[in-house]
Amino acid sequence: MADEGLSPHRRDPIKSSVGNVAAHRRRQHAVTVGKERREALMRTKRLCRVGVSGDADVPLDSDMIIDEEQSILEDQTTTAVEELKLAVAYRGKGVMQKRVIALRDLRRLLSRSEYPPVEAGLKAGVVHLLVQCLSFGSPDEQLLEAAWCLTNIAAGKPEETKALLPALPLLIAHLGEKSSLPVAEQCAWALGNVAGEGEELRNVLLSQGALPPLAKMILPNKGSTVRTAAWALSNLIKGPDPKAATELVRIDGVLDAILQHLRKADDELATEVAWVVVYLSALSNVATSMLVKSDLLQLLVERLATSNSLQLLIPVLRSLGNLVASDAHTTNAVLVAGHEITGNVVAALIKCLKSEHRVLKKESTWVLSNIAAGSVEHKQLIYSSEAVPLLLRLLSTAPFDIRKEVAYVLGCLPGFIDLVRSADTEAARLGLQFMELVLRGMPNGDGPKLVEREDGIDAMERFQFHENEDLRNMANELVDKYFGEDYGLDE
Amino acid sequence: MAMVVENVGQLGFPYWSPVRRRFGPDAPFFASGNIERELVAKQVALDLTEDEKQHLQHMENEESRGVYCPIVGCGAHLNSLEDFEDHYSSRHTASCSVCSRVYPTSRLLSIHVSEAHDSFFQAKVARGFAMYECLVEGCAMKLKDYRSRQQHLIDKHKFPASFEFLKKARPSKKQRQKCLRKQAVHKREEASSAMQVEEETIDSLVSAVSKLSTVDSPSSISFGHRNTRGFAFVPRAVRRERPDSSPAGAKR
Repeated sequence: MADEGLSPHRRDPIKSSVGNVAAHRRRQHAVTVGKERREALMRTKRLCRVGVSGDADVPLDSDMIIDEEQSILEDQTTTAVEELKLAVAYRGKGVMQKRVIALRDLRRLLSRSEYPPVEAGLKAGVVHLLVQCLSFGSPDEQLLEAAWCLTNIAAGKPEETKALLPALPLLIAHLGEKSSLPVAEQCAWALGNVAGEGEELRNVLLSQGALPPLAKMILPNKGSTVRTAAWALSNLIKGPDPKAATELVRIDGVLDAILQHLRKADDELATEVAWVVVYLSALSNVATSMLVKSDLLQLLVERLATSNSLQLLIPVLRSLGNLVASDAHTTNAVLVAGHEITGNVVAALIKCLKSEHRVLKKESTWVLSNIAAGSVEHKQLIYSSEAVPLLLRLLSTAPFDIRKEVAYVLGCLPGFIDLVRSADTEAARLGLQFMELVLRGMPNGDGPKLVEREDGIDAMERFQFHENEDLRNMANELVDKYFGEDYGLDE
Repeated sequence: MAMVVENVGQLGFPYWSPVRRRFGPDAPFFASGNIERELVAKQVALDLTEDEKQHLQHMENEESRGVYCPIVGCGAHLNSLEDFEDHYSSRHTASCSVCSRVYPTSRLLSIHVSEAHDSFFQAKVARGFAMYECLVEGCAMKLKDYRSRQQHLIDKHKFPASFEFLKKARPSKKQRQKCLRKQAVHKREEASSAMQVEEETIDSLVSAVSKLSTVDSPSSISFGHRNTRGFAFVPRAVRRERPDSSPAGAKR
């Protein structure tokens, strides 16, 4: 997640009086939340960022104080909901103002800490009131505050998210093209939280028609709302039902928007868009074939090669892996050995192999294994690259799950032994070279055993009388070195 | 060495010809890569800290330009051209020219106009055409009346039972009377008892009000600022189709 600086390219700041405070301030804080939430979850400690009286930071280890403050917060929330009820029922002069103020007070209570007093609010019947505040024609300020409250209610426990059910059609409606952008964005955020809860709620949202308006929000001519919308979209299509993914990719302009963002956007936005691509490529064959025919692969490789953000690399790598895994066209027609793009892909994967991060190592190995499963030329390409020594090293140093992936890559070994048996000299040479690598590089002396098990010795022995001198020598050297007199004696 | 052999066996070098392996997004294979993502599955929108607020305040004080919306009766103040464009497209292009209601999409606006202000629409409804469109974009379903459309939304699209956001507009007095006459003639069975009560209430209100006004009062008089432009014109051809007599039970 990005750091906490204010980004200068935002829209002009809006004056801080009653009007429009909400939009700007809340938006800027979106970025830091993810990071804090992660830290909070990792620490498994409750964090109340701001004391109820004002802004003093509460020391973390005084749980007593936190509990007490939490209960004060809850009481205040109950009161705030009562105030809102009155404001909504009120019919006199200044009704709009009253409502906005009541909503704002409630919103503040719900956005102070990572653990907003949602339960208290729900008990007091807040959702029904918020739904009324979302009615068409309400002033933007009101819509925004109401949607913000709903967002934070939905960010909590499953039953709390489910409490938003009555509000969903309205939240979806306010994603419409005529809504003001901050309102649409806040509604998208709330819906993203709902979709993030689970499959059941996702299906409700999809049935209610949430996908088309949300998809339109990622088209490039809309500014800062795109990132929130892309995040929400990724939550909405993540399945396991592939229907949503297929529907999304068919919407006019979506594919182009995805490509453009991957091409030009900053890391944060590109990350969200990349996750959308992850789900598209994992779930939908329709999407995959459309994606492969575009220049997506190129863009993914470029991001892989140039970025250093782990948050971005993971979904980009995964997308690449999914495309390679699911579409034969990818390996057969696009990643043809010898084409520049293929070389770039392998180079990018090698960069990931070298990374410190376990996920990158494991998943890039997976992708390599899928490429190696292609033609002989693909194997050739991989095995003649830096990849093999790196893989062999991983075989001795990496955790089990990574080693398993390496096994898949190297599991092309039997294929190589066949190569050695091939009539074609070059193929045979390649086979011998690979075998040499395995014999030399595999840890703990596993190499010879493996080769023997695959009848490699037999294959090599055939070369002892081969007409090609080079091959003869190579084979003989290998046999002597690895299968000499001492072989088999340690058993 | 036995250990080593075991290891190799454990790794299970695949003997068969390698095939591409594909995983679904929730596959355990991706679990470690998904951890970070799961943490942002839901996000709380937090307030800024005091420091950040002050910084923002500082930035705001340096900028004092802005533009007032020129549309008559609006006068909203916007701080940048972009905001103004935003405001304009949301406030001044999605509102109903008849009753000024604002809608977040052109489609909803157009549905509203048809259902609330179009006598042609009502005429077709009266003749039994399915005119009430499903509100979910992409679903081409049309229903014969408001209630069935509600039910369709609840049944097919999982809308909450409490849902009601495209309420019928408050029609003019004349409209209401016409509506009630039509209902009586065509005997719509699907009106729930709640709906009946509501209409009877309206009906009694209407007759009470009509006693107050003179017979020749123009149809454009109505209550509430939204209806000032009212629905003045109903083609005679349409009006004449309805029989004027009101069968028993339609009015109190």
